[in-house]
Amino acid sequence: MGIKGLTKLLADNAPSCMKETKFEGYFGRKIAIDASMSIYQFLIVVGRTGSDMLTNEAGDVTSHLQGMFTRTIRILEAGIKPVYVFDGKPPDLKKEELAKRYARRDDAAQGLVEAVEAGDQVDIEKFSKRTVKVTKQHNEDCRKLLRLMGVPVVEAPSEAEAECAALCKADKVFAVASEDMDSLTFGSPVFLRHLMEPVARKLPVMEFSTAKVLEGLELTMDQFIDMCILCGCDYCDSIKGIGPQSALKLIRQHGSLEQILENLNKSKYQIPENWNYKEARRLFKEPLVTPAEEMPELKWVAPDEEGLKKFLVDENGFNLERISKGIEKIKSAKNKSSQGRLESFFQLSAAPKRKEPDTKETPAQKKAKGKAAEKAKGKPGAKPGPKAGGRTKMK
Amino acid sequence: MLELRLVQGSLLKKVLDAIKDLVTDANFDCSESGFSLQAMDSSHVALVALLLRSDGFEHYRCDRNLSMGMNLTNMSKMLKCAGNDDIITIKADDGGDSVTFMFESPSQDKVSDFEMKLMDIDSEHLGIPETEYHAIVKMPSAEFARICRDLSTIGDTVVISVSKDGVKFSTSGDIGSANVVCRQNNSVDNKDNETVIEMNEPVSLTFALRYLNSFTKATTLSNTVTLSMSKELPVVVEYKIAEIGHIRFYLAPKIEDEEETQA
Repeated sequence: MGIKGLTKLLADNAPSCMKETKFEGYFGRKIAIDASMSIYQFLIVVGRTGSDMLTNEAGDVTSHLQGMFTRTIRILEAGIKPVYVFDGKPPDLKKEELAKRYARRDDAAQGLVEAVEAGDQVDIEKFSKRTVKVTKQHNEDCRKLLRLMGVPVVEAPSEAEAECAALCKADKVFAVASEDMDSLTFGSPVFLRHLMEPVARKLPVMEFSTAKVLEGLELTMDQFIDMCILCGCDYCDSIKGIGPQSALKLIRQHGSLEQILENLNKSKYQIPENWNYKEARRLFKEPLVTPAEEMPELKWVAPDEEGLKKFLVDENGFNLERISKGIEKIKSAKNKSSQGRLESFFQLSAAPKRKEPDTKETPAQKKAKGKAAEKAKGKPGAKPGPKAGGRTKMK
Repeated sequence: MLELRLVQGSLLKKVLDAIKDLVTDANFDCSESGFSLQAMDSSHVALVALLLRSDGFEHYRCDRNLSMGMNLTNMSKMLKCAGNDDIITIKADDGGDSVTFMFESPSQDKVSDFEMKLMDIDSEHLGIPETEYHAIVKMPSAEFARICRDLSTIGDTVVISVSKDGVKFSTSGDIGSANVVCRQNNSVDNKDNETVIEMNEPVSLTFALRYLNSFTKATTLSNTVTLSMSKELPVVVEYKIAEIGHIRFYLAPKIEDEEETQA
């Protein structure tokens, strides 16, 4: 999931792009949340003892509902306006990654059976967490719950992460909340991490700014995407032996993946066969998302009390008293989200100290150009380059 | 080189008391014209703007514009060490990383130096346009403080409505509701007790009492307070600082209707 080692790389090379903020500081803000990832987390942690989870009378799992209900209330109570974005069809390239995950899940299922036989509690919990799978029903349940709570739901045509970023770019929301560093690669202007963490863990919210990431790393957006692909993403393999640090170094030195492939020492690094980095790059740069002008108006409405009680208490065996309390909280939270922010009245002018972002060519680009010219003649085309390119064209 | 000598040192102590709970760190900007500060609270709902004009100081030397980042809690701790009648002098070197507060007793028999480290603050400045407000209410500051305090025992928010004949403060909460009306009142003998309303258009806005209560910590600076309000704009709560400047608090209103368009 996400980009390997990106957080550490940013902390080391562009520390100004992230800042710790307070959860409460986001009142009145609209924030897009990747629903599928949240549901997955709820299924793993909420109300779990060993392999047993919260269930209703019929034996269906309700951990996701419990998690979604309480976590969303917590967000609403802080005056934040959440928008949940659900995954659509995964892009073809991700299927490989997904297949790997299925395989791992099957292994875990195997392990679980063995652990149950052996009666090892620790292993039972470990393996059963790994077998967790978000089903259509889980998604459907959560959609229904959110609608009843008066919280808007957005269906992504493809990846939820990409749709979240698009919402943010179109100024429909202030930020994207996710645990997945992909959000930065998708170019979401403001990205929040740990917003959905349970209160008990007391993790501060981390706010990332894409503009500052690029400024700190001295890369353009295109170069940043190339670097993320090199680090390792969900869409294609990475080159063995190249970690985040060397990925950054290579991009700064050569400027693009094409140039890197041309100059890379092939005897030292094994470039994956049929390396489809161009398609991965396209998925990050132009993901399938709802065009800005077709995005629906996001509306937060009053909760449907009767509907919530019927769905949670009658159908899924939740405690009536707790749900009633929750509904009260949602109602009183409305009041809080109405507090205006000064920025919406007065223009933010940059503090006198702050430097203008550098619009000049980065050193990486300059070097890349120079080297490209030098080496263009002597070397025959690198093996995987044209192949990968060819495949992209066929599509 | 910066050297500002303020005979009425207690003013600076009071200013710090008024803002230190709202803002923790802030940049003080010094220029030829004066000593100023603009900072938002951490939630970006309230803003404080302070100005002490250079002519209000007994001695004012500022060779070049200087921005000094200070932790207000620490600064307040140091200023607490000054006596109420002390003369306070603020000194700093260009490009230095510290500021010195010098306190002199009125009889000149005791001089103390307190040096404080400066900090680098990445602050966001808001450009506040000069606007003409729909309604301006001038009233005794103690009265305003009292109303805010009283109402906050009942509710969290206050609706301030200005009409021709007066200004109304109303709130409601779980235990009940409250209304306080202050009528226009021109007192001849004491200007400080006046309530004066200048109004082009009736205005009614809702605010969180928590912030207003924090603003009223500046009550010790001035006997009167001015509230300037316009429809759908932050209120300005202004306290004059004895002939030499002002402290202004801006507070974003609560937005009642759901039909806001901006993200």
